[in-house]
Amino acid sequence: MKQLFRFIVVLCAALLGLAATPGFAQTPRLIIGAIYVGSTNDYGYNKSFHDALAQVARELPGVKVIEAENVPESADAERVMEGMIQQGARLIFPTSFGHKDFARKVAKRHRDVAFEHPGDGKTESNFGVFFGSTQIAWYAMGVGAGKMTRSHKLGFVIGMPIGYALGNVNAFQMGARSVNAKARTVVVVTGGWSDKAKEAGAANALLDQGCDVVAMHVDSPATVIQTVEARGGMSIGFQSIEARALAPKGWITGLGFTWAPFIKEVAQSVLAGKFRGEATYQGLGGMVAIAPFGSAVPAEVQKLVNDAATRIKKGFNPFTGPLLDNAGNTALPMGASIGNDQMGNFNWYVEGVIGKVR
Amino acid sequence: MTTPLLLGVLAGAILSGTSLLYATLGETLVERSGLVNLGLEGLLLIGASVGFSVTAVTGSAWLGLAAAAMAGGLANLLFGWLVVTRKANQLASGLAMMFFGFGVSALVGAPHVGAVITGLPKWRPSWLAGLPWVQATTLFNYDLLTWLAIPVALLVWWCLFRTRWGLGVRAVGESPGAAFASGRDPATLQFQALAAGGVLAGLAGAHLSLSLTLTWAEYMTAGRGFIAIALVIFSKWNPMRAVAGALLFGGAEALQLQLQARGSLISPFLLDMTPYLLTLLVLLAWGGARRLAAPASLGRTFYGSD
Repeated sequence: MKQLFRFIVVLCAALLGLAATPGFAQTPRLIIGAIYVGSTNDYGYNKSFHDALAQVARELPGVKVIEAENVPESADAERVMEGMIQQGARLIFPTSFGHKDFARKVAKRHRDVAFEHPGDGKTESNFGVFFGSTQIAWYAMGVGAGKMTRSHKLGFVIGMPIGYALGNVNAFQMGARSVNAKARTVVVVTGGWSDKAKEAGAANALLDQGCDVVAMHVDSPATVIQTVEARGGMSIGFQSIEARALAPKGWITGLGFTWAPFIKEVAQSVLAGKFRGEATYQGLGGMVAIAPFGSAVPAEVQKLVNDAATRIKKGFNPFTGPLLDNAGNTALPMGASIGNDQMGNFNWYVEGVIGKVR
Repeated sequence: MTTPLLLGVLAGAILSGTSLLYATLGETLVERSGLVNLGLEGLLLIGASVGFSVTAVTGSAWLGLAAAAMAGGLANLLFGWLVVTRKANQLASGLAMMFFGFGVSALVGAPHVGAVITGLPKWRPSWLAGLPWVQATTLFNYDLLTWLAIPVALLVWWCLFRTRWGLGVRAVGESPGAAFASGRDPATLQFQALAAGGVLAGLAGAHLSLSLTLTWAEYMTAGRGFIAIALVIFSKWNPMRAVAGALLFGGAEALQLQLQARGSLISPFLLDMTPYLLTLLVLLAWGGARRLAAPASLGRTFYGSD
């Protein structure tokens, strides 16, 4: 009896092993691996990648996605990526900026595996970089905020004063100014990308000081949006276009990432054996999209925002000289402009922004 | 309409000071019994994460609050098992508890990141809402934890200094041998202080996730547990002074955010340092007096009286 039992156990194990080997089940044509620094249901950055990958897996037959959440920006990330490659992954998205160095090391060891990293730096035959350029798109958000504000004071909560965040603030202020000459943007820096209590404090402070629209550039917009909503203010979201659910009354609109078309394109090039590591930066209409409007936003404001978005899609760039910084010095001379590939270089606030970079 | 700076700072100080106060009161109770729990940061995280998760699952912030209090108490009892029963080193055990808290809170909270919850209800008496400026700020619009913050501090003070139980706890903190000789069981009293202190720390964490931010994110306490440990020293192990300390430190954080929102042109990096600079200054200023106020047997393991 005992032997029979053993035999059954061994048989089951063998069958399981067989089922797990590729070839027995339907073999995926391509396995995509993705690692996230946080959780994929954060109403923010990680969720935007998770949703896009799920969409690509639905749309491309034979594509399977394997994911790992809470992968730290350390050598652990290398181990996780190596594991994914052993499971057959041929395309990897190390989705956090800080995964960069570890992904590059793994890419050097596996020339047959394609990597796409949301960030910047050198490209290689199997290592591409990409990002959604949100900065210019924030101009359209500014148009909405500038029209909706009654106090003419807009608030902006940012985690750290890095170039990309300053670019967002600058475009926002310029958009607001384009429809409201009195509009000013007040910046509060919390000192971290995920210090929730300080984000609540920052939002409260901005409302205390008379701002009635608050925008943010932090990991997850949830705390700022809910704090503002509870006090009857209006908000502009960022990172995920689904954040609207957090503010049924005060939501104006927001920016989110739409990675799916790009990921699909990359997956197809890997399937066709034509992958080349390139630098891809797309703005509104590409990797960046405008979220649905809130119920309180009048049709004329929606039209103004959409018109601004259309102009941006056609190539309008607000970062075109002459531009003054908020101390009155010339920041960008006549004729010069700042393109999508230089958004990380901002170290100044544009005229009308109230705040200090360092 | 802009709010006067001081009023804004006060409003912010009360909001962010609430969790600091509960955490400080919890640690004060524990330290009065002669134990140092450096894992307070982990306790806050466990409270925040368990409170948020239970609220997300059940839909009731009250259940979340109760669960957070229980989780905090249990975690502190685990610490007690290490340092009282097993007589392990308190500093090392405290740090281990901190990392334990990081891990457990991340594990418990992970499925609920991004959940939308209804937080603890807030309540503002109508006669207070009519005062000038109040309507436009968060002043007096508080949840139960904030309304009860000072009464709870009073209660902790009363328990410690006006009851036989408190006398016993303080005796154990000063000299467990003497307490033992007078017929008290140091281990029992320490476990009781740990349980009560853990409950308070759990509530502190819950206030962060269930009222102030309405979210859960890994490591969202961002060092508040350590500030609370410094506050225990600042308040010289006195629950009533802890109220002033929590307001002062909450105020330092609120001040830097209010200054930025008012457009003062001071470096945000410099402003960001103020709460921590204040911590350093306080430790510096109180340095000499520490011996006079700290429980004499703080941090020492009691091996029994032979």
